Amino acid sequence: MLGRTLFIDPGRCIGCQACVSACRECDSHRGTSMIHVDYPDAGHSTAALPTVCMHCEDPVAPCAEVCPAEAILVTADGVVQTADPTRCIGCGNCVGACPFGVPQVDPAQKLQLKCNLCYDRTSAGLAPMCATVCPSGALFYGTLEQLTTERPGVSVVTEFAFGEVVVSTGVAMVAPASHRGPVPGGLPLVEVNGRPA
Amino acid sequence: MLAIVLGSRGLRDFDSALVPYAAATVLLAFGVTYRYTSWVSGPAARRLFVQGWRTALSRTNLRAAPTALPRLALTYLGFQKFLGARSHARWIAHQLVFWGCLLAVLITFPLTWGWFTFTAASPQGPGYQMRLWGYRLFSFRQDSLLGWSMFHGLDLAAVLVIGGVGYFLWLRTRDRRAVTGQRFGYDFVPLIALLTVSVTGLLLTFSELALHGGGYEFLAILHMVSVVLTLIYLPFGKFFHIVQRPAAVGMQLFKDTARRKGEALACRRCGEPVDTAPAVANLRETMRELELGWDHGAEYCPRCRRVLRGGAYLDQVKRGFR
Repeated sequence: MLGRTLFIDPGRCIGCQACVSACRECDSHRGTSMIHVDYPDAGHSTAALPTVCMHCEDPVAPCAEVCPAEAILVTADGVVQTADPTRCIGCGNCVGACPFGVPQVDPAQKLQLKCNLCYDRTSAGLAPMCATVCPSGALFYGTLEQLTTERPGVSVVTEFAFGEVVVSTGVAMVAPASHRGPVPGGLPLVEVNGRPA
Repeated sequence: MLAIVLGSRGLRDFDSALVPYAAATVLLAFGVTYRYTSWVSGPAARRLFVQGWRTALSRTNLRAAPTALPRLALTYLGFQKFLGARSHARWIAHQLVFWGCLLAVLITFPLTWGWFTFTAASPQGPGYQMRLWGYRLFSFRQDSLLGWSMFHGLDLAAVLVIGGVGYFLWLRTRDRRAVTGQRFGYDFVPLIALLTVSVTGLLLTFSELALHGGGYEFLAILHMVSVVLTLIYLPFGKFFHIVQRPAAVGMQLFKDTARRKGEALACRRCGEPVDTAPAVANLRETMRELELGWDHGAEYCPRCRRVLRGGAYLDQVKRGFR
């Protein structure tokens, strides 16, 4: 059962990058944004997709599993923390293993940088910076009940299919009510609106 | 233990007053070996361990880049240049703690093992001889600068450590980046331990110089307890990064060697460089061992992984935005 978490609705994302700017302002990683906004159908439509850490639950945090330095901690509340700067050696294993393309590595600092669900804020009951500033509700922070009260008739998915493998996450995607099953992970290659990706 | 027995010439030079310290270093050796073994048994660490050593000891690599290993060891492990890229203040503070601890270790470990001995040069005094494994290294006078440094080396180390630890303690109470997710046992205990060791060590000198030895015995026990507990705790908390860090040198050598040979892997979709081909192959093997079934995804750059997922959402979940 989902507690307070982030719900991502790509259908609502207008690609304004407000979340990117807000993330950059966050006190716990000043100057660097941990959120990505991508345009999967660039040049043909206004479609945009915000990506934060999905906080994988099953398998538990692949980034942490492949980390050779035991640097990535998963807290009891299911949040996959950014790498411990004392231990991270900047090898980039987490970057390669994350199916969602979330972590980055700064080669000069030898340090991984990743969204930790604004742990400084969410552990104190506040919404993450990105959800606070999103003008269209593409990033919604709260409980499933709060979401469905505001948006009746939507379905919520926490499973992503990467080929034969299904990954369960702590952060959810919003999908049309008619949608059944996991959300496609995009690998292997797929078409976008009838054109090759 | 063998090093203690041999180095102290069959315990002839072993100071029984330092037994708890020597015992703590033996426990430290056991603890580090146990933790190190369990750490490198994991799939990712084991592969990095093998690849790192294979690259470091490869004759071809040593011939092609003979200075790579010492250069990395000095800049990365000694001067920790990467910390300067994180923050100059952090770098300075860490250097103080690092060199302070290293100085303390270089003095105390051989001393408690009975490797170093100080003997009077002559019955008339006031000179001293410093001996290592029973062999005379050099002589010095107690009232010379060298003599002062010899007897106050640990005080100097304590001052360096207190400076660095003070900064990190301040950071842990003020900086949101440090405060986020910090844990008392993991983040504060090591700093408190270093501070206790340093302060009680300095107080011993203070007692000797200003109090005519007042409270010396109590302080000596307090100092010993703090040192022993710190050494025993070392393999099981934050201090273990001291043992883990050299893995970064192996990783860097492994990647640098592949780069020198032009073994970069381009993203299967956009052609941008992802990483070195051997590093990706190594990661894919780890992922297969962990039964993470999308190891082929490691051959796509992070951006393409996100774009493909967005495209799949548009295509299969919510068609629109045409």
